[in-house]
Amino acid sequence: MKKTIELKPGIVGFAEDKDQARIIRLNTILPALERGENIVIDFRHVKYATQSFIHALLGETLYKYGEDLLDRVEFKNCTPQLQSVIELVVDYSLGGFPTESEVVKQ
Amino acid sequence: MPNNASLHTARAFLSQNLPYGDEEEPSVLVLHPQWTHVDPFALSIIAAWGGWCVRNGKKILVENLGKHADYAARMKLFQYLAVDYSPPVKEHEEAGRFLPLTQVQTYPQLTQVIGNISALLHLNTEPDALAAVQYCVSELIRNVLEHSGSPEGAFVCTHRYVGKGPKRVTIAVSDCGQGIASHLAHNFPEAMTDDRIALGLAMRPGITGAVKGMYGTPENAGAGLFITRSIAKGTGGYFLLMSGDAVYRLRRSNTPDEQISLFFEAYDEPNYNLWALPSIWLGTTVAVEIRTDKIEDFQGFFQWIRKQMPARKTISKRINFT
Repeated sequence: MKKTIELKPGIVGFAEDKDQARIIRLNTILPALERGENIVIDFRHVKYATQSFIHALLGETLYKYGEDLLDRVEFKNCTPQLQSVIELVVDYSLGGFPTESEVVKQ
Repeated sequence: MPNNASLHTARAFLSQNLPYGDEEEPSVLVLHPQWTHVDPFALSIIAAWGGWCVRNGKKILVENLGKHADYAARMKLFQYLAVDYSPPVKEHEEAGRFLPLTQVQTYPQLTQVIGNISALLHLNTEPDALAAVQYCVSELIRNVLEHSGSPEGAFVCTHRYVGKGPKRVTIAVSDCGQGIASHLAHNFPEAMTDDRIALGLAMRPGITGAVKGMYGTPENAGAGLFITRSIAKGTGGYFLLMSGDAVYRLRRSNTPDEQISLFFEAYDEPNYNLWALPSIWLGTTVAVEIRTDKIEDFQGFFQWIRKQMPARKTISKRINFT
């Protein structure tokens, strides 16, 4: 069984409201996962999001379920910009932050 | 106020000022008697200071007020100093477009500011630049609302420069709240020993004053300042962070190679200044310069930052984008 969550566009398609993300996480995503359901998060109305928004939406679920969460969540209609932010949050949530500088070039 | 108060001349501007002075003395803003170049960095600091003065019942006197202060007035500076000065109406700023000083104390006000940015800066034809500006404004103001404890909230302004010099947007957010050291002290007591240490911690991803942990808290990863610094660096622009008696400034990149090199530790950057103020700043100021002529694609910033992160322990499972 799949639970679909369609995110609101925020202002001009820019999702940055962490309170909205927190409410969705606590009221919809976590309960559905606990019931054993899979999740579809539909970003069709969102073009950009802050890392803080995506972290508030997903960070706790990644901490709780680890990499297995990725089998249970589908990210639908993401722009390339959103994909890159989601990938960043998933990576640091599962791999942590670096502990010392290493030069990275674009 | 010297005749140039910008990110480039920040040290001279800051070293001349004792914002909290003697309790018995009136607060005085001395404008330069002639033409002055002032950018959002200085305007947001003065507005936040004005808010602090009003909170503490201190009247502000302004010297040398006149036509050369019209730009500051159009940016609504005097409104936040409780000083009556209205310039002639001028609908368009010839040197570019701006979001005037705005006080933000609530999340709905933040949403309104983000909505206004596109129209006021005329960035609708540059979506990647617009996204970068909205991103920085959102993260910086949320930091103030969530962590500063500032009764006045945040004072933000931005200016898009399209005339001489690099095409750029400068964003500044200031508050007179508890400051970075005090915010981090619960989890990182070493922050209270030296404001330079506090600034270094605040710019490191994964450091948050909320609850110590590898992943931050459910609401905070502690990566906001790191990412805004990365956006400034990635376009070759300035980044400035000030709190307590310490100021960190990442300068514009001199070469393309320097621009694309990202350092996890702010103090490992080869092109920064760190200095002490003659008097402490009660709160935090962050200023970011986004070089709109050098921004390529917004998503590229996050892919670049991702390369900085350690690899996942296993990569057997991929993110399911459909």
